Amino acid sequence: MIIKSFPLLTIIFLFITSFTMPLFKKDVISKRLSFITLSISSVISLISVIYIKFNGEIYYRVGHWDAPWGIELHVGIIEGIIGLVFTSVATLAIWYSMFSLERSMKERIGFYYLLINILIGSLLGIVYTNDLFNAFVFIEVSTIAACGIVVIKNKKENIKAALKYLILSILGSGLVLMGIAFIYSITGNLNMTFIHNELIKIHGQYQSTVLITLVLFTIGLGVKSAMFPLHTWLPDAHSNSPASASAILSGLVLKAYVFLLIKILFRVFGLEIISQYPLLDLILILGSAGMIMGSVLAILQRNIKRVIAYSSVAQMGYIFYGIGLGNELGLAMAIYHIIGHALTKSTLFLSVGSIIEQTGNHKLTDLRGVGKEMPVTLSIFTIGAFSMVGIPILPGFISKWYFALASIEAGKLLYLGVILASSLLNALYYFPIVINSFFGEENLKGRVYMSKNKPLKELVPVLVLTLLVFLIGIFNKGIIDAIRLDLF
Amino acid sequence: MQGIITNYFETGAIILFGVGFVTLLLHNNLIKKIIGMNIMDTAIFLFFISKGYIEGREAPIVKEINATKEGFVNPLPTGLMLTGIVVAVSMTAFALALTIKLYEKYGTIELNEIMKMRSD
Repeated sequence: MIIKSFPLLTIIFLFITSFTMPLFKKDVISKRLSFITLSISSVISLISVIYIKFNGEIYYRVGHWDAPWGIELHVGIIEGIIGLVFTSVATLAIWYSMFSLERSMKERIGFYYLLINILIGSLLGIVYTNDLFNAFVFIEVSTIAACGIVVIKNKKENIKAALKYLILSILGSGLVLMGIAFIYSITGNLNMTFIHNELIKIHGQYQSTVLITLVLFTIGLGVKSAMFPLHTWLPDAHSNSPASASAILSGLVLKAYVFLLIKILFRVFGLEIISQYPLLDLILILGSAGMIMGSVLAILQRNIKRVIAYSSVAQMGYIFYGIGLGNELGLAMAIYHIIGHALTKSTLFLSVGSIIEQTGNHKLTDLRGVGKEMPVTLSIFTIGAFSMVGIPILPGFISKWYFALASIEAGKLLYLGVILASSLLNALYYFPIVINSFFGEENLKGRVYMSKNKPLKELVPVLVLTLLVFLIGIFNKGIIDAIRLDLF
Repeated sequence: MQGIITNYFETGAIILFGVGFVTLLLHNNLIKKIIGMNIMDTAIFLFFISKGYIEGREAPIVKEINATKEGFVNPLPTGLMLTGIVVAVSMTAFALALTIKLYEKYGTIELNEIMKMRSD
């Protein structure tokens, strides 16, 4: 059945087309090629999600080698949905960048689209693969591509940010590879399913090795997905890149690593093994610290893109919080939050990108009263901000609500305060932006209504994203139920 | 203690890993950081390959038709590490290229000095 090979097909398709782009002299062609390939990939992902929904999960042997020897892809409904979200968000971000990229950078436009295609392909690889070493290779590919996207503007700050990102990422991938070495030495397998079966039998004899491996994986992938004290590279890298790149880096790249961490913790090791160690409590504490500190640091920022970048640290904290609760609902909500945040954060970055593009200002103080000049963009931003703060119907509210229920279920009532405090802190830095741009006598003085509005056709991708944010919020029940059914 | 001496490959690998890790994390000079990264990666390769090595056995090149798996070392870790080396080389190349760019723009490769420039 050809649909079974669709996940592999998307990855290979994106990789191959990316390397044909330098062959064309005109940037326009690589632009269109990237957009077309990404849209085809999202259609393919949609088809495979529908197929999985009716026929169950896909195990695909690459090159027809059987599982313990060959590389295997495993695509269940969770992986399918995440793959669909990744490809569709990337498509919309590229659609947005087709109109606006030239305004923020003059050269290397062809290379930008090449890197985007490689990045999305490798992220899909991380999500789909069922083989640890294969995952490592995809991690390295995505790291190089992501650093390349950060440095593509060729400015002072970009190079510094990219180098900082690269060094910490190398550190993280070194730790992950060491973790793979440890786990290979005690189980003799690299396939996740086989490692799990082997670990169930032998984890009693190798308690300290298992603990070391768990810590290596958690810290290694924690660096890459901006777990709280290891997030220092994130604000520089995400705030300096072009708007569509920020949306992809912040919305998708972090999520792939955190999803791999979920897969390693709950599929390779399994809840029985990890609950013997205090690891989940550590993740819970770091997640809570991220939720609070990310927001506190965001309040202190003056640049609007850095505010949103720090807000990513806080939102990643929510995902780690859900993992750390260690019960089924918490984990399901962590995955739901991955999806919700991927959509919301890219909406925010794209709308802020168009505000900066039209006004030329990125300081918060200069953006007062901008709501009168570009009401549509600011309304989109407001919807994203409302979702982050947790206004009902929007996905941010759904995640917070169920995170609270999950912490009650886990008996960790104290942590409810963290969710509450974090929501209030979120409101503290998102609401002033919204209020100052829409209201206030002095703010609006001298501003002409709709004067800087972006043409509607350039706003279509952002509007579609906003629609998706609403849909994810409205159909939360179905999505959460689907995730819970397929949970490891 | 006995275990450390018998598994001297692994012990050496872990010590090297620690050296590389600390160099990568604590040095301010970017070239030293990249050297630290290389030491760290090499330590992992040593660890992996020593896992596949079995005392007194040969490389898995099959000469006779009826050869069994006895008599050969495990080839898989070696094969994996070939990939690992490729990845490490490309990472090093990319990091060095960025370092050159950084030197062009800032005039130094000491990270603490670059961080100071930002506050001005």
